[in-house]
Amino acid sequence: MKLVWKLLRQHISIGQFAGFTLANLIGLVIILLGFQFYQDVSSIFSSRESFMKKDYIVVTKQVQAVSALTGKGNSFTTSEIKDLETQPFTRSLGLFQPADFSISASMGMKNVGIQFSTEMFFESVPNEFVDYDSSQWNFQPGDDFIPIILPRNYLNLYNFGFAQTRGLPKLSENIISMISLDISIKGHGKSGHYQGKIVGFSNRLNTILVPQSFLDWANVEFGSGEQVHPSRLILEVYNPTDDRIVKYFQAKGYETEDDKLDQGKTTWFLKIVVGIVLGVGVLITVLAFYILMLSIYLLVQKNAEKLENLLLIGYSPSRVAYPYQLLTLGLNAIVLVLAFLVLMIVRKYYLEILETLYPDIIIGGIGKTVLVGLFLFVVVSFLNMWVIHRKIAFIWKRKG
Amino acid sequence: MDKIELKQVLPLVFEERRSLMQSDVWLQNLTFQKGHLYLVEADSGTGKSSMCSYIFGYRKDFTGQILFDDKDIHSLRVAEWVDIRIRCLSILWQELRLFPELTAMENIQIKNQLTGFKSQKQIDEWFERLGIGDKRDSKVGRLSFGQQQRVALIRSLCQPFDFIFVDEPISHLDERNSEILGELLLSEAQKQGAGVIVTSIGKHMNLDYDQILKL
Repeated sequence: MKLVWKLLRQHISIGQFAGFTLANLIGLVIILLGFQFYQDVSSIFSSRESFMKKDYIVVTKQVQAVSALTGKGNSFTTSEIKDLETQPFTRSLGLFQPADFSISASMGMKNVGIQFSTEMFFESVPNEFVDYDSSQWNFQPGDDFIPIILPRNYLNLYNFGFAQTRGLPKLSENIISMISLDISIKGHGKSGHYQGKIVGFSNRLNTILVPQSFLDWANVEFGSGEQVHPSRLILEVYNPTDDRIVKYFQAKGYETEDDKLDQGKTTWFLKIVVGIVLGVGVLITVLAFYILMLSIYLLVQKNAEKLENLLLIGYSPSRVAYPYQLLTLGLNAIVLVLAFLVLMIVRKYYLEILETLYPDIIIGGIGKTVLVGLFLFVVVSFLNMWVIHRKIAFIWKRKG
Repeated sequence: MDKIELKQVLPLVFEERRSLMQSDVWLQNLTFQKGHLYLVEADSGTGKSSMCSYIFGYRKDFTGQILFDDKDIHSLRVAEWVDIRIRCLSILWQELRLFPELTAMENIQIKNQLTGFKSQKQIDEWFERLGIGDKRDSKVGRLSFGQQQRVALIRSLCQPFDFIFVDEPISHLDERNSEILGELLLSEAQKQGAGVIVTSIGKHMNLDYDQILKL
């Protein structure tokens, strides 16, 4: 093999291969960096809760003086719901279903001597909007255990308001989720006792959320039987930046509860920018691939006579192709390693800035980016090998 | 491989002269048998090297059929050709097809490493016997054509074969060296029971040919 390589390395142009390595390195670094940067930065824009679907909006009607007094008028009618459901920007629509019975909850750690008791309300949204393990986010008649999602505000209110001024211990989310609530339900002449367990906190849903299956059952069991119109809707949209949403809401006098639309816009722009950067990276990589292929073609062409003679003295095409395949494989591997090095250096630099700007940012690993890099390496190398094999096969068939 | 058959073979370039063809090879049914010694005599331009190229699967610009043990060579796959070129057929090309960048010895090794057929000692002995012992480490590009012919012969012997084709092997050799080359060729062929096909456009080795064909 040493002799074959001695022959076939003739006419190798260092310049061309250095050019390829550089171009491929730049392309790959742009792709990997763009991908990694998106991974790192998108965690800033996506809120911390993982159990709600991404592109949804909570819709309410504006509370006006008259309706505030009468207690009516800010719930949605059936026709309004239908209309919203058929809008082109709507992917799906869910209703907030309120509980039609009275609830009181007490919670405490008796050995610490803290005990709260409070009147409460429950609401539910269809399960498809709650991205939580559906086997746990469920209730069946006969269960005495109800999973609950609380607004994170409630916890903050306690920790930074109540506990702070009263000298009470602060509670972390983990501790809270270990505490169970005693829940009493009354209505329709019946009462029931249940254990509530807080399974999560939500930044974006200002309600005490229980599984729909629980309310469906409990409203029949304890409710008055009156139909309750929902005052809040949960809306999943195709694209939160769609300006038709804003126009529609203005025309109808609807409001959204949070800044999801703004956040959606930022994320969307981020995606666009990263998309453009990735596109440029891919383009450069494709061009680099092209340079390498041209170099190899040229090399094979210049060494055509030697290759032909090797084939005629009994070397197989795959054996003759092997040195060139090994060469490209080696170059690709070098480029991959260098790209990861550059990525690590650049990332270290921008992470420092990000951490200063957003102290509570959660930094993920580079696992996915490594996978992307390896995937590109495998695909590009495979294509290289195949093209070289084909080129040698042409020489075998004397088609040049 | 026991026989090579040529059935009505004609190079495409001779197609226009098909009716005028008078040859012992072209448009004939001819069989080369293993263990026999053939001389193909030709004027230049009558397609002597083409015949070798066809049989080696290097060129396909002919009509008719070439069969190895009744198998049409058109049906051979790449792997089969590779195997045939290592085990069954050997050739000393008229244009030698050596690698000028490598030394004489490297040119032999690049073949012998593939087949592992001859010992280094044997190869060294052949270099000496053919009078090119001092050229072992010289780049082939710097040797005279006659010296190159001898290197190419050694290379063609570094593999097992059922048939060996030598295309004008002595065109640039003196009588003494021609004789040594002929002896070497025949003794190796006899050892393997192989068929030998020598081509010539005039000057040829004086051997005991079984059949002389006029191309």
